[in-house]
Amino acid sequence: MGTKESCRMELRTAIRHLSDRCLYSASKWAAEQLMGIEIDPSKYTPSHTRFQRGSSSIRRRYRTNESTSTPAAGISYICTPVPDEDNEEMDTDFYLLAKSYFDCREYRRAAHVLRDQTGKKAFFLRCYALYLAGEKRKEEEIIELEGPLGKSEALNQELVSLERELSVLRKNGTIDSFGLYLYGLVLKEKGNDNLACTVLVESVNSYPWNWNAWSELQSLCTTADTLNSLNLSNHWMKDFFLASAYHELRMHNESLAKYEYLQGTFSSSNYIHAQIAKAQYNLREFEQVEVIFEELLRNDPYRVEDMDMYSNVLYAKECYSALSYLAHRVFMTDKYRPESCCIIGNYYSLKGQHEKSVMYFRRALKLNKKYLSAWTLMGHEYVEMKNTPAAIDAYRRAVDINPCDYRAWYGLGQAYEMMGMPFYALHYFRKSVFLQPNDSRLWIAMAQCYETEQLNMIEEAIKCYRRAANCNDREAIALHQLAKLHKELGRFEEAAFYYREDLERMEDEEREGPNTVEALLFLGQYCKDQKRFEEASMYCNRLLDYTGPEKEQAKSLLRGIRLEQSGLPATDVEQFPQ
Amino acid sequence: MAGTLKQASAFTITPHKVSVCVLLQVYAPPAQISLPFPFSSVSQHNRLALYLLTLTKSCDGIFEPTLDELITQLREVGGLLNHWLTDHLTNKLASLSSPDDLFNFFSDLRGILAGPDTTVMDDDQISLDPTSNLGVYVRRCLLAFNVMSFEGVCHLLTNIGAYCKEALTSSAPYELPRSDDFSNAPETLEYENMDLENLVFEKVNAELESRKRSYERVSFHNHAPRALFGLVEDINLTAEPKLKNVDKNMEHSPFSQSDKPMIVDPSGENFLRTNWQVQGYLLEQADLIEKRRSSFSLNSFESILKQLQKQAPELHRVHFLQYLNSLYHDDYPLALEYLHRYFDYSAGTEGCDIVTSTTGSNSFGRYENALLCLGMMHFHFGHPKEALEVLTEAVRVSQQYGDDTCLAYTMSAICNLLSEIGISDTTGIIGSSYSHVASIGTSLSIQEQLFVLLRRSLKRAESLKLKRLVASSHLAMAKFDLTHVQRPLLSFGPKASMKLRTFPVNVCKDLRSCSRLISEFDTESELMITDGAMSTVWLENLKKPMGSTVFIQDNGSGNIRDSFRFCAQPCSVPASVQQLVGSSYLVRATAWETYGSAPLARISALVFATCFAESSSSEDVALAYAKLIRHIAMFKGYKEAFNALKIAEEKFLSVSKSRILLLKLQLLHERALHKGNLKRAQQLCDELGVLASSVTGVDMDLEAEASLRSARTLLAANQYSEAAAVAHTLFCMCYKFNMQVENATVLLLLAEIHKKSGNAVLGIPYVLASISFCQLFNLDLLRASASLTLAELWLSLGSTHAKRAVILIHGALPIILGHGGLELRGRAFIAEAKCYLSDSSFSVIDNPEVVLDPLSQASEEFEVLEYHELAAEAFYLLAIVYNKLGLSEEREEAAVSFKKHIIALETPVDERFLFDML
Repeated sequence: MGTKESCRMELRTAIRHLSDRCLYSASKWAAEQLMGIEIDPSKYTPSHTRFQRGSSSIRRRYRTNESTSTPAAGISYICTPVPDEDNEEMDTDFYLLAKSYFDCREYRRAAHVLRDQTGKKAFFLRCYALYLAGEKRKEEEIIELEGPLGKSEALNQELVSLERELSVLRKNGTIDSFGLYLYGLVLKEKGNDNLACTVLVESVNSYPWNWNAWSELQSLCTTADTLNSLNLSNHWMKDFFLASAYHELRMHNESLAKYEYLQGTFSSSNYIHAQIAKAQYNLREFEQVEVIFEELLRNDPYRVEDMDMYSNVLYAKECYSALSYLAHRVFMTDKYRPESCCIIGNYYSLKGQHEKSVMYFRRALKLNKKYLSAWTLMGHEYVEMKNTPAAIDAYRRAVDINPCDYRAWYGLGQAYEMMGMPFYALHYFRKSVFLQPNDSRLWIAMAQCYETEQLNMIEEAIKCYRRAANCNDREAIALHQLAKLHKELGRFEEAAFYYREDLERMEDEEREGPNTVEALLFLGQYCKDQKRFEEASMYCNRLLDYTGPEKEQAKSLLRGIRLEQSGLPATDVEQFPQ
Repeated sequence: MAGTLKQASAFTITPHKVSVCVLLQVYAPPAQISLPFPFSSVSQHNRLALYLLTLTKSCDGIFEPTLDELITQLREVGGLLNHWLTDHLTNKLASLSSPDDLFNFFSDLRGILAGPDTTVMDDDQISLDPTSNLGVYVRRCLLAFNVMSFEGVCHLLTNIGAYCKEALTSSAPYELPRSDDFSNAPETLEYENMDLENLVFEKVNAELESRKRSYERVSFHNHAPRALFGLVEDINLTAEPKLKNVDKNMEHSPFSQSDKPMIVDPSGENFLRTNWQVQGYLLEQADLIEKRRSSFSLNSFESILKQLQKQAPELHRVHFLQYLNSLYHDDYPLALEYLHRYFDYSAGTEGCDIVTSTTGSNSFGRYENALLCLGMMHFHFGHPKEALEVLTEAVRVSQQYGDDTCLAYTMSAICNLLSEIGISDTTGIIGSSYSHVASIGTSLSIQEQLFVLLRRSLKRAESLKLKRLVASSHLAMAKFDLTHVQRPLLSFGPKASMKLRTFPVNVCKDLRSCSRLISEFDTESELMITDGAMSTVWLENLKKPMGSTVFIQDNGSGNIRDSFRFCAQPCSVPASVQQLVGSSYLVRATAWETYGSAPLARISALVFATCFAESSSSEDVALAYAKLIRHIAMFKGYKEAFNALKIAEEKFLSVSKSRILLLKLQLLHERALHKGNLKRAQQLCDELGVLASSVTGVDMDLEAEASLRSARTLLAANQYSEAAAVAHTLFCMCYKFNMQVENATVLLLLAEIHKKSGNAVLGIPYVLASISFCQLFNLDLLRASASLTLAELWLSLGSTHAKRAVILIHGALPIILGHGGLELRGRAFIAEAKCYLSDSSFSVIDNPEVVLDPLSQASEEFEVLEYHELAAEAFYLLAIVYNKLGLSEEREEAAVSFKKHIIALETPVDERFLFDML
């Protein structure tokens, strides 16, 4: 990685290039990263550093591995020369007019102004304006053509002519990296994913600061193999790309490592903090996520992006007031953002007002039909409302948008199980477990399905519980169930093993409850039957601390032990040979 | 979006609909006399109406035809007028260039509808009755246009532009409006681009005039289409077709046949047909896939469905078709995926977009249907355990939600499963779920469970008035009654106290009540499906290659022929019903086979093959063919049978392999046995045994047959003890699995083994047991053949018993002669002759014909059968008799034949073609 200063210089130029070409979101992204580079505090007045103070405190708290911030050996970053602007005097006036039209969202007018301009910049802006005009028309048409059987396929009418024009230029070799980006975009829209991938790689290799191009490329990398086959030159932007791609491929730890490494330079980048939060969320480290988001909101109070995830965390932790505060804030900022609606939906869901919650999820989906988590969350709401068909429909839509959404598969399974169709539900649980094999909750759900009285397939249930126990089962359901099932099947040795494990665990976590009593009672009985009297009496003595019928049972057990120990000394000797 | 119901019907104006409206305007211009301007005859006029009617009804695809296709069809229909019509159409469409033109067009369209109060139609006035099919169509168009937003109108306008442009690029000639008169354009296509027009014109014109006059005489019935087709507009589709799987029993019946090619226009603007046309298409395709899957290529049909899905993402039935498609192409993961998707979206309530609110439906959805389908799927893929598991869950869920219909179907599905695949231990599985059965006790054998289930499902279906299900339950009952005795055998042999017998009367009753179904469906008609199908057929006829030239030259008669075909399809019985009734005939044939009436069995099979072959699955058809071929083999010998088999094999090319293959193995085995080619026979036997254990589990019947045949082969090889051992194990197996009917045959076989090994005394008890079995089970023909064996046994005990034997034979002869095959008859004749010959009181010289007649008959029959051993015997006896009579010439002849057969028997020729056939 280059020095912080060189990164800063590159980004500054890039922002100018990008906003010159009206690639606003890319330039926004670049500007955010620019501000994310930590400034040497000695050089600047406190007013400059204020923006970054909070973020660095997060880093101090959660920077686990300092060494990651130094570049790994052997990677040589290429230095991509920053291209010079083509300052052709002739087209600047036209260009200025076109750009102002573009800024006013009059895309066709902008394109028209630039119809005879030959400069690369003008060419790009013309094509980009046409593309956006087509997109806008497409959006309108989708609504206009909405039929009773669903939406008809609306197409961006400009794609064909744009593709023709851009492919000619690419063959000539007169296309610049922005043109390549647009070409890749068009190809992707047309469904030509392979070529789109190649073109986008060309684009990012020649001009790495265009985050739009990277994110298009990332959306094409649906498998790890495609990602690895990309021929990307080394640049620090590639690390951003890889981190985001790993995240999408559910390689959360790899993604986290990359982001932590990037933090070495961009230590106060909000983007990176949010991404780390995302990864932590998927690893179910809710505490950390909450801290990160709190800091983020302090620095950037009007941020709406990614806030839906924060609301999920608050929901999971049942923080009513925090969630309502968040909902209020995003509502005031921009109520017509899918994220805002989702947050409000979450809030109502937490309050148990499921109808209202569904309404807001619906609104979120109106704003973005492919908003995955809204579908899933809406499914949960319908489950709460006992409207199973609607829930199934919602989950299924989520799954059809992204077949890797294990939550929706899980929801489907749950819905069917609720209707008393456990065998049918198994299909869905299997799917979800396949996608997320390390999630104990899924295994437990599947095991419970097998365990239902209708199916009563205990062996399979045991297998599932065993998997659950192996992957860090927080609620500690699996061990207890394993013990219980083995006991029911008369396999006392296994049962004792699992009860002991369960007991140890509970001791570690300092939890007590009916499970403890059950475990102690069984172990006492079991050890007594095995003639391991000392152990047995140890368990029984522990039981005496509890009230209830078990106490009496423990007493009688102890009595029995004493009787056997005194009455049958011969077996005692056999049992414990010295 | 989830939870919201879509509005019932999708009717959006598309360019194609505008075209139809233009043509409708041509058909019925406002305020015109009986025959409007361009038409020269009433029939021409009607033909256009019929064509328009079919356009609005046919369901042969998902997309509306392009202008090009429309013009091509118009050319066929329009006959003399085709140029005028196409020009008019294209001009009219081209003239629609601004939204206002469209507004004017539709307000003009209103004029062709008759007023609401004109109840009496003026004969001379052509106006559309607003309640007729076409009238409703126009009204729907008008309504759809009126509710359209301005954006919609703009879209329509651009679409019309694209629609015309496409036609322009692909078929330029039709676009150019002819400047000279176009009402009399020349008829044949060849003239179109030629400058000869004017030269030929005179001649053609004269010819046309004369023709026209002749057509006019042809009166036509349906001048007012509404009279014929005042059809119901709101078609209610029940969810029945979806459940039809149950009746159809998941046939594995691929069928090689070239279906109409599915041409999908990959590019350009396509518009879906009206909603129920698409639904009709899907229904038809579902039917077709189930009937003959091989005619569907997985990918091409899938791509059509994909397209449909893209166009109408909320039409969930597509997923079901995708499921069927992958199911019948044996793609398990895909089928599973699509099945789950379909039911997730439709909640099991979607029959079509018009959901009939039956009493059972509730807000919970009807996911039990999903279980039912999943169960059938597992059954299809040969996972009986999973299938049972799922079906029991279906039983539970439908009980829970009170869905009696589904429960009934599920139970009959379970019955099917149990009867098709005899799972060795189903106890517990059924017991755990189905409480009624459980209370009876889980110690019941599978047949008893099946019987109880059948009874219950029949009762349930009757109380729910599910006609099809009642019929199919009756059918299942009949099948069950046919081969299963009502009580298990507790000890060897029948006891008087136990009702151990079959009840042919019950079978007959069941079969009759099954066939009654067809009369019930006479009155009830599913208009949409049949209507749509008819329209499709009519349009298909247009497309036939002979069309273009023949049609125009033979215009008048073509008109009539086609329209008659169109009107004269009275078939209002749904295909599923026909299929059910058809299979009742098949069961009838099987029943007669079992009870021993060959002619009646043959007639039933013939009825099936001629009347129901169209609507039945190819599996059933193959079975019928197999029965008929068996009949030929028994009565006409192997040569003819193999000829027939060849035809059948071509017909069922590679597809329903098992059925025809089985038949072939059986025939070849019998033939090898008769010819004395024992090695070959043994080999064929083994192959048969392999067939018995298929993917779906062990077929016990086939297993039994295989070992029966191997015992026969051993017997033919004179390995008596081995043969007896095989027969004994077979007997034990049949006893274990309660296959008493088969045991009658096994006992007879044991008797034969003893007979051949010379232990006649030992054979007699077996044959007697067999006879009493036959009596109880009403196996008349088998009984006759057992009595024949008994007679043979008596005879071999010595000449003193000849009298007794001859009495037995005479008692059995009526049945043998009436129903028996060649072999049985020949054996009876020989036995009869032997009886006479060994009877000391009988003299050959006094009445030689008493012996000679049966013997020569027998020899003829065995020659046809190529049964060398018995043929030799017949000739031997003949020679002896001739010798006694002193007819030396005949004697020599018989002796030569005897020698020929003996040699053939001793040196079996491995005929090449036998191998070629396999």
